[in-house]
Amino acid sequence: MMRIVRSGLRATIQDRGRTGHTREGVPPSGPADPTAFAAALELAGCDDTDAAIEVVGLPFVFRCDDRRIVAATGRDVRIRTRTRIPGWTGVLARPGEDVIVEGSASTRFAYVAVSGGLALPLVLGSRATYLSASLGPVPRPLSDGDEIPLGASIAGFETAGRHIEPTAYGNVARAIAGPHDARFPDTSVTAFFSAAFTVLPDSDRMGVRLSGVALEPPAGELLTCGIVAGAVQVPRGGAPIVLLADHQTTGGYPIIATVVSADLGIVAQAAPGEELRFERVTPEYAGRSS
Amino acid sequence: MTVRPFGDRAFLIELEQRIDPAIVDSARAIADDWERRGLGEAIPAYASVVVTFDPARTAWPDAARAAAALAGSPPPASAPGTGRLIEIPTVYDGPDLADTAARSGLSTDELVALHSGREYRALFLGFMPGLAYCGMLDPRIDAPRLPSPRSRVPGGTVAIASGQTIVYPVDSPGGWRLIGRTDIAVFRPERVPAALIGVGDRLRFVPR
Repeated sequence: MMRIVRSGLRATIQDRGRTGHTREGVPPSGPADPTAFAAALELAGCDDTDAAIEVVGLPFVFRCDDRRIVAATGRDVRIRTRTRIPGWTGVLARPGEDVIVEGSASTRFAYVAVSGGLALPLVLGSRATYLSASLGPVPRPLSDGDEIPLGASIAGFETAGRHIEPTAYGNVARAIAGPHDARFPDTSVTAFFSAAFTVLPDSDRMGVRLSGVALEPPAGELLTCGIVAGAVQVPRGGAPIVLLADHQTTGGYPIIATVVSADLGIVAQAAPGEELRFERVTPEYAGRSS
Repeated sequence: MTVRPFGDRAFLIELEQRIDPAIVDSARAIADDWERRGLGEAIPAYASVVVTFDPARTAWPDAARAAAALAGSPPPASAPGTGRLIEIPTVYDGPDLADTAARSGLSTDELVALHSGREYRALFLGFMPGLAYCGMLDPRIDAPRLPSPRSRVPGGTVAIASGQTIVYPVDSPGGWRLIGRTDIAVFRPERVPAALIGVGDRLRFVPR
């Protein structure tokens, strides 16, 4: 059992995402920063299908009733037990001991994994929480005092102390133009890949909203089409939105570019007021008509 | 058909860009074919399919070739069958009812009669869990999307836009014109399937 002592501002259960129901309109959910999430699972000796906790608004405090390997990752995240330990490190947590996950003003999303994984039932094939439709085995943010059953701990305690080099959370994310780039005026595409945008405070797990250069959208309406995480939508006003894990499955705004999956965490973890730029990378395949 | 890269783990296959049930059927056939190959999920919409793959299992050039081949010789489309008839008891009291009727040159009673007087077909599901895009509206109803979307539309709202009608499954932002509401839950995670309306199902709105 894992007991939540302090749940932070908003903590939700996440796994790698809910697939297989996209055609019913169910978003993938899963971690906003997939790289940090995967690292937390690995450090705690979990399976990549296991669930962990995504926390917004540290500190997050918990204790386990038996010995576990725990790990916390994310931007500028560390753990405090008897001592202060850097994030992205497997830590041995003793039974009943408070594990405090701390961050800084630049932390957006932290991931907390515990060896054995969270023993929660699957809902529509996943343990991920999707708050907008109250979906998941725990379809709400975690509260102080919540108890979460844990699986049998398979991590050997010799794995404690393992470290994964944290993501360098810079302010440049790589992106591939399109799929709707050809519909935009050329100047909009050029501006997107050269301008510095500022992250707006109303960014969340659905998307990171940006201000800065207004990008002139294409003329006319677009038919709604499917969406993937990383898609950069440009609504009428010209202020782009980079879609994250809780994105709608389809949308009608033109997509000027798509952030590569390895850099989703850089976008997700950018704090309000921070600058974000997009570096154009060319896919091996340049698109083709048939 | 065109194939465009959509990030590093998907492609967008575009068909002729207009709303036509026959094109929707073609898009769905392409999506089914992609998923049968086991490469990843596919998301069909009005006139496009997003086909996804896992770069850890399928190299990008291989996925690109598969997407191009599929677009080059698409599978034959088949209609989804007649589906079930689902009745949606509707109270027509939405905030956009009067305005939409006026811009269409109709009284509100006439608009209600037109909206409830025909069967709609569920073309595809998207946006939010259980939201079915259903067509087609009577062409006399002039209902473009709102110039700026509402930040919150209550779940259960019946709405129209651009020749289509929907029921919002849960509270969400929305840019469609709100004409009524229903008590029917179109999405319930504990139900199998969770979405009430499936592709091909027929909908009839019954004034209450």
